[in-house]
Amino acid sequence: MTLSVSGLNVERKGRVILAPTSLSIAPRARIGLVGASGSGKSTLGHALIDALRAQGVVVAHVPQSPDEALDPLRTMAFHWREAEKALCMGHNPARRKALFSALGIAYGNLTKRPWGWSRGMQQRFVIAMALIGAPALIVLDEPTSALDPVVAADTMDLLDNFLTGQDTAMVLVTHDLGLASRRVERLWVMSEGYLVEEATTEDILTRPTTEAAAKLAAHKSWLTVPC
Amino acid sequence: MIQTMLSLVLRAVVVLVGSALVTFVLLWNAPGDPAMAIAMARFNAVVPAEVVDQVRAEAGLDAGFWPAFKAWIGPLLVGDFGRSSVTGREVWPDLVTAVGYTYPLAFLALFWGLAIALPLAILAASRPGSVLDRVCVAMASTGAAMPAFWLGLLLILLFAVKLAWLPAMGARTASHIVLPALTLALGVAASLTRIIRSGILEARDQNFLPALQRRGVANSAIERDHVAPHAAIPVVTVFGLELAFLLEGLVMVEVIFGRPGLGGFLVNAIDARDFPKVQAVVLLTAIVFVAINFAVDIFYKLLDPRMEDRDA
Amino acid sequence: MLEIKGVSVKRGALVALKDISLSIELGKTVAVVGESGAGKSTLIAAILGLIALSGGKITWAGGPVRGIRPALVMQEPRAAFNPDLSLRQSVSEPLKAQKLPVDTKRLAKLCAGLELAPDLLDRKPGQVSIGQAQRVGILRALITTPPLILFDEPLSALDAVTQKRTAQLIADLQRQKGFAALIVTHDLGYACAFSDEIAVLRAGSVEETSTPTAFVNAPETDYGRKLRDAAVSLGALERAS
Repeated sequence: MTLSVSGLNVERKGRVILAPTSLSIAPRARIGLVGASGSGKSTLGHALIDALRAQGVVVAHVPQSPDEALDPLRTMAFHWREAEKALCMGHNPARRKALFSALGIAYGNLTKRPWGWSRGMQQRFVIAMALIGAPALIVLDEPTSALDPVVAADTMDLLDNFLTGQDTAMVLVTHDLGLASRRVERLWVMSEGYLVEEATTEDILTRPTTEAAAKLAAHKSWLTVPC
Repeated sequence: MIQTMLSLVLRAVVVLVGSALVTFVLLWNAPGDPAMAIAMARFNAVVPAEVVDQVRAEAGLDAGFWPAFKAWIGPLLVGDFGRSSVTGREVWPDLVTAVGYTYPLAFLALFWGLAIALPLAILAASRPGSVLDRVCVAMASTGAAMPAFWLGLLLILLFAVKLAWLPAMGARTASHIVLPALTLALGVAASLTRIIRSGILEARDQNFLPALQRRGVANSAIERDHVAPHAAIPVVTVFGLELAFLLEGLVMVEVIFGRPGLGGFLVNAIDARDFPKVQAVVLLTAIVFVAINFAVDIFYKLLDPRMEDRDA
Repeated sequence: MLEIKGVSVKRGALVALKDISLSIELGKTVAVVGESGAGKSTLIAAILGLIALSGGKITWAGGPVRGIRPALVMQEPRAAFNPDLSLRQSVSEPLKAQKLPVDTKRLAKLCAGLELAPDLLDRKPGQVSIGQAQRVGILRALITTPPLILFDEPLSALDAVTQKRTAQLIADLQRQKGFAALIVTHDLGYACAFSDEIAVLRAGSVEETSTPTAFVNAPETDYGRKLRDAAVSLGALERAS
């Protein structure tokens, strides 16, 4: 079922943070929500989550850094159980085991608190937790920028593999078109609170129609490496 | 673990010996002749010079500072608090009697203080910046600015003199404890309210709470499982300090309300330069202080396991 | 010029740096890449003389590094400034510390080189964007014309477009002023595009050093290969099609 929301908008103190926006997301879609910092992409991501949740859709969210997702005083087991309860689901160790192995979470001591795990594993745990309810959509907010590149690349690969064969759609919020171009097939380009362009990744990279998209495309990566 | 215990014991010893030495120095150098003060307290009259000299020799005051200090601290090391220079009675039993009056007062004050502060703070923090919040904060600030001796007198005026509901002086019946305990409790409540309130507000400002909400965790569960434990951390730290301030206030309140506790014991002993008695009180206070700090340390680590990890 | 010879640093029982040797000439840039915890920040602290070495030597032209007062550009640009001072005050602090006068003309020229509007310096750190704040951070580093500047993850708080613009500005300024630069970063793309030499740091020791071109084409170690492949996979490096 295609997800759709309309009339999303956010104002703060009379300033437009997000101009009225309507979106639709097909099942299994991989979408990049891109823009410079301050362009309103995170705001749109959050508004999208809230609007879909209000429709009764199961939506999951992964913040930029595990620090923003986990309480340092609570154990990993507590967080997992809490996420299950929030979805009104019973405790199911088999499901946890399956998600852990899908995301390459090696045996982690669940009685430890987040700081007893490496940051990379914490982030994978947060992603695994987001997938508990088999959500219709998972929104990832700069999921790699707080991680080391090797760990970040592995994590994204594992998530990609897991989502293949699931109905879950993905929205990747990022300022980095280089990252988005490797991971998504469609792009939403944000600039100053407006969704200015929406097209396939291919089109935006080769034929951007707006200045914002052209700028992002021109600064996509640092270097071109010979094959 | 063994290392932690050792360092703890070492710290305790340093605090105890240090406070004993400092008090001894202060008493020794206080203006006036200590032997004269002791003699006057003992005979309750002006006494001739030879009697003063006799008292001086008896109390070991003629031997100089270090011999006098050693003569006092030596027996103490094996648990002997010595005898009063004034009455010649053993210090220990009198001390125990005095403590018997003081500790119910201290605990009651603390308990009432917390019982007042907790609901006030939760109420204030429920809507920060509202009229309700400002009233709570204003009340707490006023309370904290009011010295115990003045507050105590106000309470006596109202409840003992005007309304005649409660007794003001002494410690004969259970109701005698109400006014002094209330005096102390209001002071405790004033500072605790502000600490608990800001603890709750800071805990609500943590960066992972929005993600929990987006995960669908109910607000009541967030308050209970994520806000309350974080808010408790600063409160426990301050609670230890609060106990220390309470000891200070106790002396004054006991004197105001004529309770025969540690306060009166100490004031009389200082007046008479009764070295063994003063030292006993100081030592007892220091031990309580060390014990409180120890308890706070342990509690702190239970609440915030990150501390344990950092120590290791 | 900067000569790091066999440097080791111990922190308790932990070896934070193990037998590190690197050198940087004036006008050149060395990029140190590696995962967090590899010892990148420790290396910077060691060069600045903030921590004691347990072995080896760090010198500038044979003398102590402190003598040339190297500048440091930090990761979190806004946290690097006193929030209550105007940026102009913060920028002139290193001059005051060395009892040097503020040369308004030179300051204006530097501002222009960093694409900073002249009146921007009268604002406070909270009133400018992160990208602008980082350029002011670079301005502060350049103001005393030090021969060596250390960059600790200078771009990681910025967005992709701003990163590339800022990196280009740093490179242009380096060409004019000729300072030696040490860049510590986990972004291999940045390191490859803007350095003369790459040193891969892992668990406190240098795994390999090579020129960016050589590294991108054929890393010598397994870990080097992993780093390069991750950079490609995250889109920091692009394969020619």
